[in-house]
Amino acid sequence: MRLRRIDGGPACEVEILACDGKSIRVTIDGVEIAGEIEPAADGGAVLRIDGRRTRVAGARARHAIQVAAGPAAFEFVTVEGRVGGAHHGLAAAEVAAPMPGKVLRVLVEEGAVVAHGQGLIVLEAMKMETTIAAESDATVKKIRVSTGDAVDHGQILIEFSPAPANPSAPESPAQGE
Amino acid sequence: MTGRKIRKLLIANRGEIALRVIRTARAMGIATVAVYSDADRSAAHALAADEAIALGASEPAHSYLNIAAIIRAARASGADAIHPGYGFLSERPEFARAVRDHELIFVGPPAKVMAALGDKVAARRLAVKAGTPVVPGVETGELGAARKFADRAGYPILVKAAAGGGGRGMRVVGEASALEAALVAAAREAQAAFGDGRVFLEKYLARPRHVEIQLLGDRHGEVVAFGERDCSIQRRHQKIIEEAPAPGLAEATRTRMVEAALALARAAGYQNAGTAEFLLDGDEFYFLEVNARLQVEHPVTELRFGRDLVAEQLRIAAGERVGAPPEPRGCAIECRINAEDPEHDFRPATGRVASLTLPAGPGVRVDTHLGVGAEVSPHYDSLAAKLIAYGADREEARARMVAALEEFSLVGIRTTAALLRDVIASEAFARADLSTHFLEEHMPRWRPDDGATRAALIAAALVAEGRLGATRGGESANGAAGGAAKARPSPWTALAGFATGGRR
Repeated sequence: MRLRRIDGGPACEVEILACDGKSIRVTIDGVEIAGEIEPAADGGAVLRIDGRRTRVAGARARHAIQVAAGPAAFEFVTVEGRVGGAHHGLAAAEVAAPMPGKVLRVLVEEGAVVAHGQGLIVLEAMKMETTIAAESDATVKKIRVSTGDAVDHGQILIEFSPAPANPSAPESPAQGE
Repeated sequence: MTGRKIRKLLIANRGEIALRVIRTARAMGIATVAVYSDADRSAAHALAADEAIALGASEPAHSYLNIAAIIRAARASGADAIHPGYGFLSERPEFARAVRDHELIFVGPPAKVMAALGDKVAARRLAVKAGTPVVPGVETGELGAARKFADRAGYPILVKAAAGGGGRGMRVVGEASALEAALVAAAREAQAAFGDGRVFLEKYLARPRHVEIQLLGDRHGEVVAFGERDCSIQRRHQKIIEEAPAPGLAEATRTRMVEAALALARAAGYQNAGTAEFLLDGDEFYFLEVNARLQVEHPVTELRFGRDLVAEQLRIAAGERVGAPPEPRGCAIECRINAEDPEHDFRPATGRVASLTLPAGPGVRVDTHLGVGAEVSPHYDSLAAKLIAYGADREEARARMVAALEEFSLVGIRTTAALLRDVIASEAFARADLSTHFLEEHMPRWRPDDGATRAALIAAALVAEGRLGATRGGESANGAAGGAAKARPSPWTALAGFATGGRR
């Protein structure tokens, strides 16, 4: 599956090849990693990879997968695998709200072609305004929210299709929960 | 008001500090009354107290800042004293006055003292009168005088709000041409934030440490100092790591600092717990401000002196005399784990705790109000937990803190725990290269390391496949054992996502 941190960055292809309660084999972006895993009574587990021991725990929230690896906390969203950055120049097939908040302004329209770094939506959260910007050149396929909407953490705001310069993409609906 | 035993204490606060005060009161045989907002109906502090009284809506103005409602709750419950905690109303003279006007004991200094110290310009004058060194500056925002001072003292210059706090209304001015605009902007910001647009100027210290003295004063005019704390490591002008003693502080400087703080406290007629804050630049120190309340970081002093400062506060408020502080021993470090995103400029994070593992062990103390199901809402400050580690020396305290932070795990809300771990484990912190710019200097653009990110990706994939963790709906899926050992649902795991009165 493709996983991306909720507030952006590149998506990673993660595949669990085998996990039998003692050993685990996965690939991350095609690189195979083998290690050990010990399940814990509380629903977490201890991972051992390359001699490093990490306590992991996780939960599924409404719009995100939340995990802790030691003291570090992460939130991921699953993204549709076929429209990868490598294929069509898209960093991600959609953009999600990095925190709960209110949509103050929608800066783009459906069908618009946006450039990397261009502002898409202004969110108000915790009394601060945050502008959500495009992570790559793209075409705005669908805007799923409008001004004034309250949005939840991880909720999909906008879906993209590749920018026109790229070959047309197959249908790629976001795989929201 | 003369000495009066406290029988029932109302805690006008929430979160870890309310819980912490309740625990001490209970150990002293004092009944406790919690107050809570709508968002906190099932919060830890409300459940921990003997009684809990609703104040109003979640916004602080309707609840924890609502003086009338808090006084009403005190009257209704028959409380005879109010502890304000820190933040909220703790440094509002009008609150202290209202409490005393209703013949209740306020666990803090008199309103008049609080008012005198709350104004930064007035406090600065008081310090000068008491012979306490202050940062060179002028008490005016008038352009001509400001320019004259800045030319003499040299840039950079700091413009500060007289009524300020938390970095608001504060501007660093690098050169003469930027002075006028900075004065105007700081005044506007101060007016908006505090309803008081007065500003003043100080010389900007390039790489200072923040060192503060813990004070306790009684009603009989006695003031004592419980040593110092170094709180240099900050983000956005707010402390995140504090320790006692201040490493590498020359004994002579420490003595002069303690004496300056005591002189100031005596001049102000200070009572109860308070802290005199200083900037330390080499061996020179300069008075910053007095915080007329218990500080967030008081536990490092408690561990080092073996005293419960809240118990001391309650005894002082009841009219008892403060005794000489015991000999301090060892070292203590505190880390504030905030619900913030350290990868995005520490913006506040919110959410519900899905799972939580807290550290323990020799010399480790955890002060937190969070548990599984607890919600961090946008209404209140971002402090999620305080970890405090004690050791016979700094290295032992530091090693225990690293281990404690590595044990800490929270799913559901992003926190600063991993950043703090990296700071405490860093070579720069180990050799105590401390300054208020520590993060910019040593941890710019912090990110979790690749090993943690890789483990997190694997964990996320396991969660997505239902082989790890508990789902929000309440169904546990502890199936790291190949997905074969699907959850053994029990009432306990099923309740993991459940909280009454929650917003979701």
